[in-house]
Amino acid sequence: MNEFHLTEDQQDCLQELINIAMGQASDQLARYLDTFVYLKVPSIESVAAKELIEALNQQQNTMAVVSQGFFGYEGIRGEALLVYQDEDSGRIADLLGYEPDELSQDEQLIDISSILTTTFLNVFARQIDNQMSYNAPKLLPSVQNSLSEHLQQMTFNWDLALKVNINYQVTDYSFNCNMILLIPETAIINIKKVLDRILAEF
Amino acid sequence: MFDCNAIITPATSDKSTLTESVLRQINSQIANQLNTGVLVVDAQFNIVILNRFLQIHTDKVLDIIIGKSLFNAFPELPERWLSRKLNSVLQLNTPSFCSWQQRHHLFELPHTRPITTDSEFMAQNCTFLPITTENNKQHICILIEDVTDVCHYQGQLQKTLDELAQLSRIDGLTQIYNRRHWQDSLQQEHAKACRHEKNLSLIMLDLDNFKLLNDNHGHQCGDMVLIEVSALVSSLLRVEDLFGRYGGEEFAIILPETNLLGAKELAQRICESIAAMPLNYNDEQIKVTVSLGVAQLDDVEAHYEELITQADNALYQAKALGRNQVFSAKTS
Repeated sequence: MNEFHLTEDQQDCLQELINIAMGQASDQLARYLDTFVYLKVPSIESVAAKELIEALNQQQNTMAVVSQGFFGYEGIRGEALLVYQDEDSGRIADLLGYEPDELSQDEQLIDISSILTTTFLNVFARQIDNQMSYNAPKLLPSVQNSLSEHLQQMTFNWDLALKVNINYQVTDYSFNCNMILLIPETAIINIKKVLDRILAEF
Repeated sequence: MFDCNAIITPATSDKSTLTESVLRQINSQIANQLNTGVLVVDAQFNIVILNRFLQIHTDKVLDIIIGKSLFNAFPELPERWLSRKLNSVLQLNTPSFCSWQQRHHLFELPHTRPITTDSEFMAQNCTFLPITTENNKQHICILIEDVTDVCHYQGQLQKTLDELAQLSRIDGLTQIYNRRHWQDSLQQEHAKACRHEKNLSLIMLDLDNFKLLNDNHGHQCGDMVLIEVSALVSSLLRVEDLFGRYGGEEFAIILPETNLLGAKELAQRICESIAAMPLNYNDEQIKVTVSLGVAQLDDVEAHYEELITQADNALYQAKALGRNQVFSAKTS
């Protein structure tokens, strides 16, 4: 246990905030996409940079990873990684309401990633009285070699990150993807302050 | 909790010495001096604001364009796709992005480097931001960044990387594949042939008495011979054949979908063509011959290096039988 780890109360509080945000986000997405969007109960854990890179490298069949940075007031910042498997991205254009020839596969992945990330984080930010800005989402070039490289070069130097993993499923379009939110060390301290404030208000 | 109505937010609005009108002037001047296009449309996609950057680059008259539909004012925009994208901004109240890497540009704007780059229009990163004003009225702010430079340098970088990749595969002297790339190719062709049960043959060839040639005429003459032989052999091959320099004066050819008979015919043709090749060095006629060993993949269980060994053994036989000839390994 060190300054970057969440206490049990902080962890519960964050879990609750995320649950509420997921509920609202899935509702908004369902209305926009006109189909049910299932979000699995998220996992929240602290991970060391090294373990995370190993875990991501071990994921088989990873077809694409889209990264998008987010930053809000009070030093709340991090990066969202949307991880796609080979088999679950055949009908994204259809899901988004585009004609398949209107946009490339890359653009489909970037578009859906941005929608999932920003919708969730906007709602989450509202829960903590904050407001998020976002970088333009980027498709990481050829996943095999570059994911660990990318993580090592992430804008912040970090050994430990708070990792929130949320799985999205749209069964009608056999769509499935993993959203991994990474909040690095300094931002963890900032988010702990916010959580403490919310806990004190109850 | 936070005031996000102004581009410049005073530290705390209570203590601010700025009046609303001064703040408005500052904001509007910033908007007009930005080297970024700022365009605001209402929920029906009619144009409400167009900053100076866009007025200048589009050559459009403000009075005419304000109030007009975005798609009428800019007929080059892909209407169906962009409408859906703009709707996502309104409906989800989230920003949306469009990068030059996926779409070079949305708006057909001239750029500042028409001479030194090859693109006709300004490469753009576009951002679509939701704006909510009084009475829950929704607008969308479209930011258009000029990334022509980035696009240009990225293109040059890619070209250089491609060239480097090509260089790393090529033997500097003979301009054919180097040993490493040739061997990687053999490994791949071997795997392919085994998987699809296709024929695969190999020719190893070696210049006869090359050491003597170097001793008598010098290494520059030797280099010239290596270059000429490589060029001649290359001219006799099909596009799918893979020709590489195996060692000093030893070469190797991978022949996909070719049986032993076909490989022997080709080897014979190479042998005769080289012997007949007119070569001069310092006004002196040079006689060059090669010995060739041929082998065909006949055991899919075997490692690909086994094929090299067979062809190499056959080459040794061709040498032992008096050079300037083809010898083929036995086949089942």
